[in-house]
Amino acid sequence: MKRYLTASTAILLLTSVLAACGGNNSSSGNSSPSPSPSPSPSNSNASPSASNTSKDKVTINLWAFTDEIPNMSEKYKATHPDANVEFKTTIIATTDGAYQPALDQALAAGGKDAPDIYAAEAAFVLKYTQGDASDYAANYADLGLTDQMVKDAGIAQYSVDIGSKDGQLKGLGYQATGGSFIYRRSLAKDTFGTDDPATIKNEIGPGWDKFFDAAAKLKAKGYGIVSGDGDIWHAIENSSDKGWLVDGKLHIDPKREAFLDLSKKLKDNGFHNDTQDWNEAWFADMSGTGKQPIFGFFGPAWLINYVMKDQVKDTNGDWAVTEPPTGFFWGGTWLLANKDVAKNDAKKEAVAEFIKWVTLDTSDTGLQNYWANGTMKDGEQGTKDSVASAVVMAKSNGTIDMLGGQNMFDVFVPANANASGKNLTQYDESINSLWRDQVREYTAGNKNRDKAIADFKQQVKDQLNIDSE
Amino acid sequence: MANMERSGTVSRGINKTMIYIVLIFLALLSILPFWIMFVNATRSTPEIQSGLSLLPSTHLSTNWNVLLDKSFDPIRGFFNSLIISGAATLLTVYFSSLTAYGLTVYNWKMRQSFFTFIMCVMMIPAQASAIGFYQFMYKLHWTNNFLPLILPAIAAPAVVFFMRQYLLATLSIEMVEAARIDGSGEFYTFNRIVMPIMVPAVATQAIFAFVANWNNLFMPLILLTQKDKYTLPVMVSLLRGDIYKTEFGSIYLGLALTTLPLFVIYFLLSRYIIAGVALGGVKE
Amino acid sequence: MRRKGVNYSKYGYIFSLPFIFAFLVFSLYPILYTAAIGFTNLQGLIPKPIQVLDNPFQNFKDLIYHNVAFRTSLTNTAILWITNFIPQIGLALLLAAWFTNQRLKIRGQGAFKVMLYMPNIITASTIAVLFSTLFAYPMGPVNSLFEMMGWSDGPIFFLQDKTTARGIVSFIQFWMWYGNTMIILVAGVMGINPALFESAAIDGANGFQTFFRITLPSLRTILLYVLIVSMIGGLQMFDIPQLFIVPSGGPDNATLTTSVFIYGQAFKGSYLYNRAAAASMIMFLIAAILSAVLFYIMRDRDAARIKKEEKKLRKAAKAAARGA
Repeated sequence: MKRYLTASTAILLLTSVLAACGGNNSSSGNSSPSPSPSPSPSNSNASPSASNTSKDKVTINLWAFTDEIPNMSEKYKATHPDANVEFKTTIIATTDGAYQPALDQALAAGGKDAPDIYAAEAAFVLKYTQGDASDYAANYADLGLTDQMVKDAGIAQYSVDIGSKDGQLKGLGYQATGGSFIYRRSLAKDTFGTDDPATIKNEIGPGWDKFFDAAAKLKAKGYGIVSGDGDIWHAIENSSDKGWLVDGKLHIDPKREAFLDLSKKLKDNGFHNDTQDWNEAWFADMSGTGKQPIFGFFGPAWLINYVMKDQVKDTNGDWAVTEPPTGFFWGGTWLLANKDVAKNDAKKEAVAEFIKWVTLDTSDTGLQNYWANGTMKDGEQGTKDSVASAVVMAKSNGTIDMLGGQNMFDVFVPANANASGKNLTQYDESINSLWRDQVREYTAGNKNRDKAIADFKQQVKDQLNIDSE
Repeated sequence: MANMERSGTVSRGINKTMIYIVLIFLALLSILPFWIMFVNATRSTPEIQSGLSLLPSTHLSTNWNVLLDKSFDPIRGFFNSLIISGAATLLTVYFSSLTAYGLTVYNWKMRQSFFTFIMCVMMIPAQASAIGFYQFMYKLHWTNNFLPLILPAIAAPAVVFFMRQYLLATLSIEMVEAARIDGSGEFYTFNRIVMPIMVPAVATQAIFAFVANWNNLFMPLILLTQKDKYTLPVMVSLLRGDIYKTEFGSIYLGLALTTLPLFVIYFLLSRYIIAGVALGGVKE
Repeated sequence: MRRKGVNYSKYGYIFSLPFIFAFLVFSLYPILYTAAIGFTNLQGLIPKPIQVLDNPFQNFKDLIYHNVAFRTSLTNTAILWITNFIPQIGLALLLAAWFTNQRLKIRGQGAFKVMLYMPNIITASTIAVLFSTLFAYPMGPVNSLFEMMGWSDGPIFFLQDKTTARGIVSFIQFWMWYGNTMIILVAGVMGINPALFESAAIDGANGFQTFFRITLPSLRTILLYVLIVSMIGGLQMFDIPQLFIVPSGGPDNATLTTSVFIYGQAFKGSYLYNRAAAASMIMFLIAAILSAVLFYIMRDRDAARIKKEEKKLRKAAKAAARGA
């Protein structure tokens, strides 16, 4: 009975071990894993032959965790009818942590079904670009995608930093997720006398001292500055000088440690509604229906377009974006290529062309142009989003109704530039959730500051085997 | 005497009212999540995010379109799930009954040690045997194959244990012996005489096994990577996508669609439970 | 009794063969593999040559002596199991007694039986999402209810308080599984010889007496099953604690069960397969010892009980015969 359930869930455990085992396999023999007969005989002889005349299509194994990139591959084929390429997509949701084990396994196993192009999300991209799995990734330079191209496209530096190991670029995104501060115009007028983004930017920042001055002013008018402490966490996390790990030991950056005090200050002064992100109360604050009206949210363009747009309800048009008190980014997807694709010229070329189209093509027929302007589907006005290339954004139109007609790209170009990608580790997801748990323990008054930090260190050691400094 | 009886019926009446109140309360608690799930299937994502509601909304067709847009193929998913869950359930109940029968009726030398062995197997945490399983299937090239999801169902120690306990309580050796005298072979006796006696036990265990197999997500998710092999729960998990723009409405619709066939099969099987199989086979 | 001296015992082996074969192929190898890992240095995503540790029991030692979270997880598992199993078995027994009581004749009991099992049909992840919505803070259905009824001054952060968080996890487990337990018990009661109930009725036993003197003792074998399976299930409690609260096992490790801990060892970024395997083995040992103790105690009494019952039955039969 219960065994069935737990049995099924625990299966996950094995799947990553198999990465290790899979490696052993391939070294011990020829066990290239062929998930039962693939129905495309056409690619069976895709070996590098000198004659490039064969009309056989190159099959690219594409691994992703949403249908976003597979949809792009459709668009790619539609806009490149002469591209001699076929995509075989595998989509495994990140839900319940299933994507990574499966991907790790497939990468370790290699062979003709190995992923040629794979996607990684901000929460775990470091593992694939710089961490344990980075050896599987091809250098963009080896695919013919040079640093000059990256420079010409004006790709946000944080995105390049995250995608690079020892100066070698291995992954790039199509989105840029540099963060902004998204605020209510009416509350701004009431409190600061203006809703002009340029002025508000200097009211709430730079730096947390000014931010809390603004919070006090807002509180005097009966407003909270943010919805919950999670809102400032993303900004704090990605603006710290160092990440969680320094020389293999747990390091608590002073700026991250300050989150304890800032969070407590928010709670004790009633500067927020004490919500948690992605909960009912958090969404309620987007339409101003929470306990007290909330001034603003920290977030990238996707927060505006994918989350807030449908939640703001009556406050539609009452919003504006400005630069946050400190630069940060939140989320994003990176594209990587398997280093083995370089072994086959035809495949290498096809993979490089697609990755270039997605991440570096700044022309009007490049993906990012469609993406920024919401024209992925013909004739249908899709969602506009901030993209990796500043060049594309500069020529795109980012005006949005929710923001009262403001062109959001004016803010997101500098926001992307101000974000830092140098303080990430592959453990961030786990360590962050432990840290925020202890911070909540502290702000809820369940334990004192020192105890919270000590317990945090102990938990990191117990669960991740990482000693603290 | 008559007085006593009347007061007895009155207090029983009160008792019964209490019992009904408790039962109805529990039943409501059971229905609630399903109701919310079906209601959410008709609501838009922002509506779902703004909290619970017990009243349906009007976005069913929107959710349906999103669902179809996302390569959700309910028919194929249904058949894949049905094949896996059906076969696994049949194997589980049949072979567990067989093993249990072997353990109860026959007096063989290894009987006691084999039973102890099954008990030990039952105590192995799922985590323990899980670690090497996938690797093994991988070596056998059984990924994208239904067999690794079906065949292990033959060895279900907990079910064997249950069936054995049930047989101990209900089966009379005399009946088996009578069958032997009538010239019935051992397999025939088991299939024709013992299995019918075990129907209540088989039906209950079949429901448990079917539900567990139907809802099983992780193993299929990792073993079946080809689209045409996906089971329904795998398809639903793919709807989830990333957290930034999740279409909760279509996820709930997908969940509801996944649950519906389960409902039907559950209600079909549950007739045995409700009817309470005739205890004719019980020993004198 | 034997017909032409046929020895039937070989069928015992034959009938058990499929089980043994499937077990050997699909379980034993993976289990041995796991057990072996526990003594090695297998860590990290990228395969390195595996070596047996200088002190093969180092992983076990580290876990037991130095890992606070592991010890916490054992305590939590025990707490969460006990607090959900006692009400669960209690309610299931009560319901089984009601449903099988011939005198009560509860109407619509078929429908009730079917509905009470329903929480078990829905997937754990759906239930986890549902309950975290229900107990959301600072706005949520339960908080609204409490405020409406005047039970609380302000919103309660249910999932940040250790007691309420544990209580809710425990309740979900209880609620998901009592229907399952009830169905097993009802099936068990149905297997009890009706003559026992009849003779009890003739003796003028009331509902309570029948339940405690007849039903409960006769259910021993099934109760043993429920107890052991539930205990093993409880030891492996995973889905709800893993999915219900962020971070899984929170707040402050209050709902960190051993399974969640093991999963985290292998998955939270450090890939400590050897420690996960060692922890699995410790869990196995605990389950085996507890079950062996339970089984031993229950079986001894069981045998005695059966003898007693037989006596009782004979007496009852005699009495009935005399009465006739």
